[in-house]
Amino acid sequence: MNPANSRLRGALALMGLAVSVAMSLPPGRRLIEQSMVWHMAVQVPLLMAAGWLSMGAMSQARAWRWTADWNRYGLTGLLAAQVVLAYWMLPSAIDRAVVSPLADVLKVTTLLACGALLQSSVWRAPAVLQLFIVGSAVPMTVWLGVYFATTDRRLCNAYTLASQTTAGICIAVWGVAVATAWVVVVLRQAVQRAPEVPPARSRVGAD
Amino acid sequence: MLPGSEPSVGDTGLLKTFSASLLVLLFGFGGLLYATEGGQAYTTETLRRAAVDREPQPIPDLQLIDDAGRHSGLHALLASDGRVRIVDFIYTHCQTVCVSLASVSQRLQADILAQGLQRRLAVLSISFDPDADDPPALKAYADRLHMDRSVWQALSLAQPTDRRRLLDAFGIMVVPAPLGEFEHNAALHIIDARGRLVRIVDADAPGEALAAALAVGR
Repeated sequence: MNPANSRLRGALALMGLAVSVAMSLPPGRRLIEQSMVWHMAVQVPLLMAAGWLSMGAMSQARAWRWTADWNRYGLTGLLAAQVVLAYWMLPSAIDRAVVSPLADVLKVTTLLACGALLQSSVWRAPAVLQLFIVGSAVPMTVWLGVYFATTDRRLCNAYTLASQTTAGICIAVWGVAVATAWVVVVLRQAVQRAPEVPPARSRVGAD
Repeated sequence: MLPGSEPSVGDTGLLKTFSASLLVLLFGFGGLLYATEGGQAYTTETLRRAAVDREPQPIPDLQLIDDAGRHSGLHALLASDGRVRIVDFIYTHCQTVCVSLASVSQRLQADILAQGLQRRLAVLSISFDPDADDPPALKAYADRLHMDRSVWQALSLAQPTDRRRLLDAFGIMVVPAPLGEFEHNAALHIIDARGRLVRIVDADAPGEALAAALAVGR
């Protein structure tokens, strides 16, 4: 990786950390207290992105080498990230993070860790395992978003029904966006690998 | 990194990964089951009802004021006639959910009178907006809804500073909404004569609330 590129990644990671954590502290906290959209559709994905970027900026560090044996194929990391995400999809967990500062600290740390785990694990996983994880997490996210957007039951006591509806739409869009991004990356990897094969074949054909 | 390019350390690496993954799954599912009461409760509202079902919750002795400006402690009011109360929470200038909540309370009042249960049951509508809901506001509200004071009363907090205690005791969260309205979890709360919250029932199930209140009285 060239140095300018890695400096840019480092700066992005720091910015992501600063913005996502600031949303849990006054005065930024007002945003997530008032609207489920800011909380679930902005802060939650931003925390995961910040965790992902930070892990990307640190991944050169030798300190993480010892974890490799415990996280072959990224299996442990992907399962842990999945559990964290499932917990923060519970309306009761979101309510608790609004009411209790301790729960909010737990939210910030686990979601940062969730992003970091995804970054360090997902590219170690074979495509089939990636498909399995994406294929369970994305439908779960989209279903949740659609349910939030369409039910007329208030699921979070801390938020109005109107903000729940908008948040639901945004969450469903996030799910689709993540799935699309994954497909694009996998296709690009396939295309990059592909040219190695055809020249060999054409040479065989020439003989 | 491609999967094949990882340093090979024999099968112990895979064993370590499988045991770590198993631990993650065990703790993860354990935690999720714990947080959802065994997969039964996904919202704060259902958790709160389950907690009350498990064990009645004591309600603090708050000072209340009625539409004639009379003060009384909640516990004294409950003990005065030993009736089980069906309590809902309101603010009198509400134009949204409280309108349907008010019609539910009207139905409760009619059913109690029709079934001759007024010596065992009563309905209380308590305002969580004590600054706006003074005795004249309560009186206008009571008159508008044709409250029969012997069965159904509208009350407000005598001390506005008690608002937090009231909402916390009953597990009500009030969220400011546009046009000066509030959104809040609307439900029917059954409290016994000893000042304990014993059941919480959906606001659109007055029949269930009556049955639950009668079961307490027995």
